[in-house]
Amino acid sequence: MSEPTISSKHLIVRGKENIVSDMGGEKVMLSVRNGRYYNLGEIGGKIWDNIEAPVSVDQVVDKLVSEYDVAQIKCKEEVVSFLELLLEEGLIHIEEVNP
Amino acid sequence: MKKVWQKPTLEVLNI
Repeated sequence: MSEPTISSKHLIVRGKENIVSDMGGEKVMLSVRNGRYYNLGEIGGKIWDNIEAPVSVDQVVDKLVSEYDVAQIKCKEEVVSFLELLLEEGLIHIEEVNP
Repeated sequence: MKKVWQKPTLEVLNI
């Protein structure tokens, strides 16, 4: 398994060219950039809501752990995997946190 | 009461 690109030293920044809609509790998104539709599901939608402003992975995870019954380590692992997918599809980009 | 966690997934819709 390859090392994740996203780490605690990154800020997660939403791409601007996405149209998002709530459908039955799930988040569906159209990327204007590539013309594709995505379903982020319920938790993915929650993550999307939490990155409205640029934030670190740790901030996203802290918020989710306070709301969902999940261990911090497991949550971070799965959130990073999900964010990597968003990054691959060009739905988000990452910036280095200033030291 | 905390909500049930499910692994987040990204589904690329077939259109």
